[in-house]
Amino acid sequence: MTLLTPDGFILEAQNVAKSFPAQEQRLELFSALSLQVKPGESLAIIGRSGAGKSTLLSLLAGLDQPSAGHIKIAGQDLSSMDDAQRAAFRSQYISFIFQSFHLLPELSALDNVRLPLEIRGDEQAEQQALKWLKEVGLEKRVHHYPSQLSGGEQQRVAIARAFVTSPQLLFADEPTGNLDDETGQQIIEQLFTLNAEHKTTLILITHDPDLASRCQRCVTLNNGHLTERSL
Amino acid sequence: MSASVRLLRRQMQGQLRTTEWRALLIATWIAITLTTLLSLLGDRLERGLIRESASVLGADMVLSSQRPIQDLRRQQAADAGLNSTSVIQFPSMISAGDDMMLSSVRIVQSPYPLRGQIQTRPAQETDIPEPGHAWVEARVMSQLGLSIGDKIELGYTELIVNAELISSPDRGSGFRSFSPQILVNEADLDASGILAPGSRAEFRLLLSGSTEQVNSFTLFLNESLGDEERLFTLQSDQPMGGGALASALNYLKLTSLITLLLSALTIFLSLKRFSQSQHLRCALLLSLGMTQRSMVMLYLMQLLLAWAVLALIGSLTGIALEQMVSRWLDELLPQSLPAPALWRYFTGAGVGLALLVLLGLPPTLGLSKVSVSALFRDEDIRTERRGLVLQLICALLLLAVLLSFLEAPIAALILLLFLLIGGAVLGSIAQFCLKHLATPLSKRLLLGRLLVMRLRQQRQWHRLQSAVAILLLTLLSVVWVSRTDLLEDWQAQIPDDTPNYFVVNIQPWQTEGLQSFLDNANVSAEFFPMVRGRITTLNGAPIHAQMTPEQLEHNTLNRELNLSWSNHAPTHNTMVEGQWWQGETTEPLISVEAEMAEILGLKLGDVLGFDLAGLEVEAQIANLRGVEWTSFQPNFYVIFDEATLNQFPATYITSFRLAQEQQELANQLIREFPSLTLIDIDQMLLQLSQWLTRLGDSSALILALSLICGSMLMLLTLQQALDQRRYEGALLQTLGANAKQTQHLDLLELMLLGALCGLMAAIIAEGVIALLYIHLLDIAPQLHLGLWLALPLASFAFFTVSGALLRKRLTLDQCYRLLRAH
Ligand SMILES: Nc1ncnc2c1ncn2[C@@H]1O[C@H](COP(=O)(O)OP(=O)(O)O)[C@@H](O)[C@H]1O
Ligand SMILES: [Mg+2]
Repeated sequence: MTLLTPDGFILEAQNVAKSFPAQEQRLELFSALSLQVKPGESLAIIGRSGAGKSTLLSLLAGLDQPSAGHIKIAGQDLSSMDDAQRAAFRSQYISFIFQSFHLLPELSALDNVRLPLEIRGDEQAEQQALKWLKEVGLEKRVHHYPSQLSGGEQQRVAIARAFVTSPQLLFADEPTGNLDDETGQQIIEQLFTLNAEHKTTLILITHDPDLASRCQRCVTLNNGHLTERSL
Repeated sequence: MSASVRLLRRQMQGQLRTTEWRALLIATWIAITLTTLLSLLGDRLERGLIRESASVLGADMVLSSQRPIQDLRRQQAADAGLNSTSVIQFPSMISAGDDMMLSSVRIVQSPYPLRGQIQTRPAQETDIPEPGHAWVEARVMSQLGLSIGDKIELGYTELIVNAELISSPDRGSGFRSFSPQILVNEADLDASGILAPGSRAEFRLLLSGSTEQVNSFTLFLNESLGDEERLFTLQSDQPMGGGALASALNYLKLTSLITLLLSALTIFLSLKRFSQSQHLRCALLLSLGMTQRSMVMLYLMQLLLAWAVLALIGSLTGIALEQMVSRWLDELLPQSLPAPALWRYFTGAGVGLALLVLLGLPPTLGLSKVSVSALFRDEDIRTERRGLVLQLICALLLLAVLLSFLEAPIAALILLLFLLIGGAVLGSIAQFCLKHLATPLSKRLLLGRLLVMRLRQQRQWHRLQSAVAILLLTLLSVVWVSRTDLLEDWQAQIPDDTPNYFVVNIQPWQTEGLQSFLDNANVSAEFFPMVRGRITTLNGAPIHAQMTPEQLEHNTLNRELNLSWSNHAPTHNTMVEGQWWQGETTEPLISVEAEMAEILGLKLGDVLGFDLAGLEVEAQIANLRGVEWTSFQPNFYVIFDEATLNQFPATYITSFRLAQEQQELANQLIREFPSLTLIDIDQMLLQLSQWLTRLGDSSALILALSLICGSMLMLLTLQQALDQRRYEGALLQTLGANAKQTQHLDLLELMLLGALCGLMAAIIAEGVIALLYIHLLDIAPQLHLGLWLALPLASFAFFTVSGALLRKRLTLDQCYRLLRAH
């Protein structure tokens, strides 16, 4: 099932602004950003450190509220929902991949992947988790704990964990930032293969030109403006 | 297994290994143990001995008097429709073979008691001992080596002990209720020859009836109550017995306040630290689709699970400790204690739940508010200070729970304030000293500059840490010293020739015989006559009208006084003002104790009027005397000239010293003069010191528990500080310091802190003990060298060892990793 807005976008940001109360004056990251993403698309957001990429990502994912403007996912305005509704909405459609993996250290790889399904009360959690670990090539590591895995392996567990709930939208914040080039390459490979196979919409932040170039679209966030870069 | 349960289990497994959870568990465990212990013990003591109830009083109301109760009173009671029975209680030496002991004899008549029950072993058919028999308490049996059927001597009579007294109401008032007791039929009183006119004893009339009858008779009596009479009812604020025990119990409860406070603080800090460590984790769980609600549930479940286990373990250890303490007290308590109310077994669990929930709710609710976007920034999440109101409400509720548990809210609040303010002041002083101690050091030591920096940086932590350490160590040492040393030091100060025996109730015709008995044995003793009287007038006008309320509180005005006469000054008193009269006097003269004169504003030449058994006598103050009240000599506030007083019926009192090898004389004396009351001071002091030791043991036990709590608190905060130091140490190492140096820096700091806390604790403890010596015991303060050594060493060792344990040396490799992880 793929969700579509009437105009065919799964994600739509209209004139989004965000500012933070800082010491003397308000820190305004951006004042009117607009962005549209079609289902199944892959979009890279690049920009220098501190430009506000992560902030933008949390806004798009409904983790944070914009100071002004609207964000719609599948035609539904996130700002019209309360916290609990947004959380429920997120858990149904969205998954995340983080720069520092964020696996639960006391759970094995299998249990880490299984956790989101179990939280949702899925009966088949174990089979699903095993299937996804196999897809990321970790079928021999299912009972290992994060501390026994390399960085790349940990990120692959995190990828399996992100896909296991079959999300419509996948947000990744510098997924290769903590990895060396070669491992990063492998992770990128994996991410895009899965993305293509499962028609997931992928929105990722990266510094890595390789990774950006693998995306269908690439936008740069600079001085509070988004510019589409043709590839 | 559901996901939440699995997560809960895994989560707990991992967290049990962290310092904050260990500290939390131990602190909660101690709080539960302690509250269970005190709740059970307190309830048993109160039901058995303290709380005024009909079954403790043995009646609905009791009229107590220093003089035999007139028949009129019984008649009045009968007219009011009340049942009554009379009891006479007095201290007396009883003997069996060569052994003797001081006990409290109760002479009773049937029916007795009017309320409650006497329990004996073996059970008896009659309500009181038959004539010629006695029921005695276990302590009498054991000290005199008696078994059922043996005989004891009471005055001139012999009584057969046919039952052991297990528990009985109506134990009498004051300290006598703690002496071992004997129950004797009134038919045996005359034959014993003990009670003659003027003898000291407490005469009681036990009364029972319907509530209305009792109430109206109370009103009636209150209007006609004589000076020597007191009325005890179920409503009277002054309990008849157990007053001292009630204060002891309160003392223990207040001691426990410190422990509870420390455990609450430990739990609070643990939970705070724990919830901070959980922020990222919670953000992750939220990002994986968990709802805020189920996350709060997850953490609350975890707390509840911990509580359930601890409630069980803590209650069990509390019950075990209660068994231990009540066994300690058993030999000292007058009777075996009743079982506690069932709900008392759950107090500890209840207080534990209150602690965990009230302290745990605010941070747990805070956890659900974390923002998932923090996962992107990968930084420590600082939640805003939300829920301040909630925290405040929870803190107040917790305070209410603790205070209501302690049942002495005002005293507890004062102590709480005192501890908080004292702690803050001590902490600041310690931190100040630390700063000024380190500055001169900084020039000598390689790491001196760093040390000074460190001390400035960690001053918050030092303040908290030293306040807790100093308070705890001080309290512990004061309790420890007062437990035994106090009384011993006091006894050591008593001159060797201080009398150790009193004889009271000597009838005039017995003085000569007793004097020659003592002369023959080479024991010197001075005899003093005693006449009872009350001060009524000063310079012709009623004295009560001339005194302030505080003056009226004075011992000499609110009761009958023991008056004496003599035509020469007592050898053990000193003249302060004026002179003793020479030989026969023409007009009535008195000598007044100097302190009393000062408090009441009496001067030489003032005329005091006395009521002596209904006769008015006026006498002029001829001199003022200084009296050493603790000299164990018969001492009097007022001494008359002989001619004025010797026409009144009197009994005599004397005191003397028997050396260790002369103790046999005491037995002989009792045998030759069975009706005299011989009081063995050494035995009384022994009883007192046993009490003090047990009380000290109990409070030391409680303080030991608070010491564990305090250690947990210290380890917890130390760990927090050390985490920061590890980071700092790692940084220093990558900048070129070696592992040893950074470790030395930490140790140096902790050693300084430890030694300083110990030293300050020693100073304060010594000060408090000196105050006790001066004000309580009236003796010169002494140095306790042990404290000065032990405290700094112990605290130094504690800080150093825990620091060394917590902070292992880092390799350079570990340093890089640590830095990267930050
Ligand atoms: N909650 C916040 N409060 C205040 N400032 C914030 C907050 N979140 C982000 N910022 C600031 O916004 C800026 C952009 O941050 P971020 O979105 O993490 O940038 P990027 O991911 O592009 O490096 C930074 O300067 C950061 O300090
Ligand atoms: Mg970022």
